Amino acid sequence: MSLLEVDSLTVHYLTAKGKVHALEEVSFDLKKGEALGLVGESGCGKTTVAMAIMKLLAPNARVLSGKILLRGEDLLRKGEEEMRKVRWKEVSMVFQSAMNALNPVHRVGDQIVEAILAHDGSFSEEEAQKRVSELFALVGLDPNRMRDYPHQYSGGMRQRAIIAMALACEPSLVIADEPTTALDVVVQDQILGEMKRLQMDLHLSLLYISHDISIIARACDRMGVMYAGQLVELGPTQKVLEAPLHPYTRGLLNSYPSLRGPKKRLRPIPGEPPNLWEPPEGCRFHPRCPRASEICRSSCPPVVSLENGHFARCHRPRS
Amino acid sequence: MNLRLFVLVRSVQILITFFIIMTLLFVLFRLAPGDPVAFLTDPQMTEEEVALLSQQFGLDQPLHRQYLLYVWNFIRGEFGISFYYHRPVVEILKDRLPKTALLFTTATILYAFAGITWGKILAWKRGSLLDTSVSLFGLLTHTFFLPWLALILIWIFAYHLGWFPLNAMISPEIWLDPESGWLRKGLDILHHMVLPLAVLFLTHFGGYTLVMRSTMLETLREDYILTARAKGLPEKVIRNRHAAPNAALPVVTSLGLSLAFSINGGAITETIFSWPGLGRELVFSVSNSDYPLAQASFLLIAAFVLVSNLIVDIIYAYLDPRIRY
Amino acid sequence: MSSREGKRTNSSKPRHRAFPRTGIRWLRHLEENWRIYRSNPMGMAGLVLLALFGLMALASFIPPLIDPIYDPMSGVDPIIDTSTGPSWRHWLGTDFMGRDIFSQLLTGARVAFMIGISAAFMAVAIGTLVGMTAGYFGRTVDTLLMRLADIIMVLPGLLVILILSSVVGRLSIWNLVIIIALFKWAGVSRVIRAQTLSLSVRPYIEAARVAGASHARILFRHILPNVLPLSFLYMTFGVTSAILIEAALSFLGFGDPSTVSWGMMLQWVWKTGHMFKAPYWLIPPGVCISLITLSFYLVGRALDEVLNPRLRKEVLEQ
Ligand SMILES: Nc1ncnc2c1ncn2[C@@H]1O[C@H](COP(=O)(O)OP(=O)(O)OP(=O)(O)O)[C@@H](O)[C@H]1O
Ligand SMILES: [Mg+2]
Repeated sequence: MSLLEVDSLTVHYLTAKGKVHALEEVSFDLKKGEALGLVGESGCGKTTVAMAIMKLLAPNARVLSGKILLRGEDLLRKGEEEMRKVRWKEVSMVFQSAMNALNPVHRVGDQIVEAILAHDGSFSEEEAQKRVSELFALVGLDPNRMRDYPHQYSGGMRQRAIIAMALACEPSLVIADEPTTALDVVVQDQILGEMKRLQMDLHLSLLYISHDISIIARACDRMGVMYAGQLVELGPTQKVLEAPLHPYTRGLLNSYPSLRGPKKRLRPIPGEPPNLWEPPEGCRFHPRCPRASEICRSSCPPVVSLENGHFARCHRPRS
Repeated sequence: MNLRLFVLVRSVQILITFFIIMTLLFVLFRLAPGDPVAFLTDPQMTEEEVALLSQQFGLDQPLHRQYLLYVWNFIRGEFGISFYYHRPVVEILKDRLPKTALLFTTATILYAFAGITWGKILAWKRGSLLDTSVSLFGLLTHTFFLPWLALILIWIFAYHLGWFPLNAMISPEIWLDPESGWLRKGLDILHHMVLPLAVLFLTHFGGYTLVMRSTMLETLREDYILTARAKGLPEKVIRNRHAAPNAALPVVTSLGLSLAFSINGGAITETIFSWPGLGRELVFSVSNSDYPLAQASFLLIAAFVLVSNLIVDIIYAYLDPRIRY
Repeated sequence: MSSREGKRTNSSKPRHRAFPRTGIRWLRHLEENWRIYRSNPMGMAGLVLLALFGLMALASFIPPLIDPIYDPMSGVDPIIDTSTGPSWRHWLGTDFMGRDIFSQLLTGARVAFMIGISAAFMAVAIGTLVGMTAGYFGRTVDTLLMRLADIIMVLPGLLVILILSSVVGRLSIWNLVIIIALFKWAGVSRVIRAQTLSLSVRPYIEAARVAGASHARILFRHILPNVLPLSFLYMTFGVTSAILIEAALSFLGFGDPSTVSWGMMLQWVWKTGHMFKAPYWLIPPGVCISLITLSFYLVGRALDEVLNPRLRKEVLEQ
């Protein structure tokens, strides 16, 4: 059984301008010990997926349909108090805006201790402190700096501290939402390596969110590609990269510098991502799709599978 | 910057500020039209007394010597003789300062805490009936004209209901009675303090509540609050440990900035309730043309405000590690 | 144009920019800003209250025309020699000399507006000039001006004015206005300075500088129009504090004895020992001062929301 199963999740945001169709029928699953990547342009709904799993969506968000099963239990049906026990103990998260994710008036160590004590009554204060220093060592931070405040850390150190925090309660699933975007390339590389190592060592399940396909390619076993609130392709990383089914994935790959192999000419996808207030009829990608035909304009494509475990939401997937 | 250095720097700044205020006051009194001797000497004084004072304040000497003497006199606490009380000014002020400190400090602590607490709660329950009613109440009392509120409270609670004494700080019959212990005396002061405190509290509470409410609403949108939620912390902990300390920082800043303004209200309150403090003494001495006392009490109030400011700064630094470290 | 259409076009473009780039574009946004303002019920309530006070101020000219006994200062009712309660002849009663309280109340409104608006206008004018100068020239000029502002801000204004009046004697109402302005510019100048600092790094200011525009031209043609909305906002706050200072000063007995202000009326009730006997005299001036403070405060907050979109509520949040 999968650890996490997201089943046709649809989320709208209500705004003064109207409904934002942020997620439409998104389904995927995540097995124990697996790293799944979600990639897509800015604004395609990646963070919304993460927040929906944590049940921390903005107050104006409405989950219209779908299920989020964690070990078979639907999180969407859980009350706030039950959900509180799931958070961090079962599912923890590394946030996109790591710079402000730590509270400036509390010591970094204390912020992790607090998470441990909130979820595990068997820890004493000292034991929790000790655990934090182990975690610091684990993510490559000097345990002596536990008593520092966030502003005394560099960006990379803060990110490591947040990763340590995410691991504090030994969760089965860690969601990392663009954990390295704000960092420079070298640190980005280190952190990425660190995360990969930790995921293997601790046998974690990891949901890795990024707009950078090369990072996903290095960190994840399977990957999903999102476009305008829909998951348009899902499959083993290798397969998706080498034989993409969806025209958008292909466009995305073409617009990135080659990961391996000979240098290709970069071809950005023509056009703009649609606004999500009035997403296009039919396939949301059709206005930009080179292969669009009549049917793409009129009806929303179903999810099709051409090979085992490789899916695409497309009328005319490339076989 | 560590805390000690921070306090040192602020203290030096405050000393300089005080020095400038002192100098301005000197300039005001010496350059004002009329005879400077008149500002120091009482028409009722004898020739010798006038001569003694003139010499003490160097009125027969050039201006810069006078200034140096003025500073020197200040440093050794020599402010001259009050025209009205015919006693050394310094003695009078020594008696008044603690009384002002008692009333004003108590009031400040009360309204700052109440404002922060209520603002926190209202932001947390924004849009609720509680939020609307307390915000409205705070808004109204915040805009009450302080002297008027004082008169109305006296009218209702002291005159009509008779719950509290009309004015003054103590009841002489209790303090003259050799039998009354410190508890009885303390309660007596408290009894007299309720109405003046209520006036200062009501006119300030609303402002701080509204500021705290809005900074708290802003803080609740911060990423670290999301982190705290994601960590599965109880709501109370998120509100009190994660949001409130951050939201209170700007409130503390505005507390420091408005101390000077609040002391105006303090002086009016003292005057209305005949609370024998510095503010009332200043108002009195100005109406009595008691120049030495007026100058000295003004300087002391300014010093009081500056020191309070320093204390608020230290509290701020204590609350915000970004300043402390 | 139907109102619905109006709303749609409004929502499809960026609703409002707080500080437009060049010129006095905010003037052109006036209609739109008014729409935003109007949607704030508290702000509208404040405006209505202010309008009422304005009417009172205008009406203050009428009673003395009807009969000289209604003159707020010199009109003594010959058949009354003590404070009396409300009657047909004196709607709010009379004070201890038999002068009409209602007429005094109306005049109080006029005096409050006069003092408030002129002091606030001067304070804001000085504050804006100083703030722009400090922010634009920076360095020593900035340091000196802002230190000065800091010192003024730690001074308890009311008490300083008391001391001043002990030296120079009673202050006439216009001297008082000037002194209030000299105390109130400091706060404004800090805000304007910050705004100027952020403006003067904008590309078009750079461009003007490169094109050889003089300092005065840059300051007055490019920076001033953009800080004016903020100055205007601070003016609404300044009006209140000027009114309050005058009222408090008069209440303590240091006001201009030739002027009837609400603070003065309260001082009379208090000092003549009528506060327990004459609620009809004690209550109206206090209510007026409090309400005019409230209304300027409400207007100021609503204006603040117009100028800082960040403060506006997300319409559908929650
Ligand atoms: N609270 C909200 N109210 C209204 N719209 C929202 C809200 N949060 C997100 N959106 C909209 O929903 C869509 C998806 O947002 P989301 O944050 O999930 O994107 P993302 O893929 O994480 O983007 P990025 O890579 O920039 O972080 C966007 O169009 C965004 O504008
Ligand atoms: Mg995101």
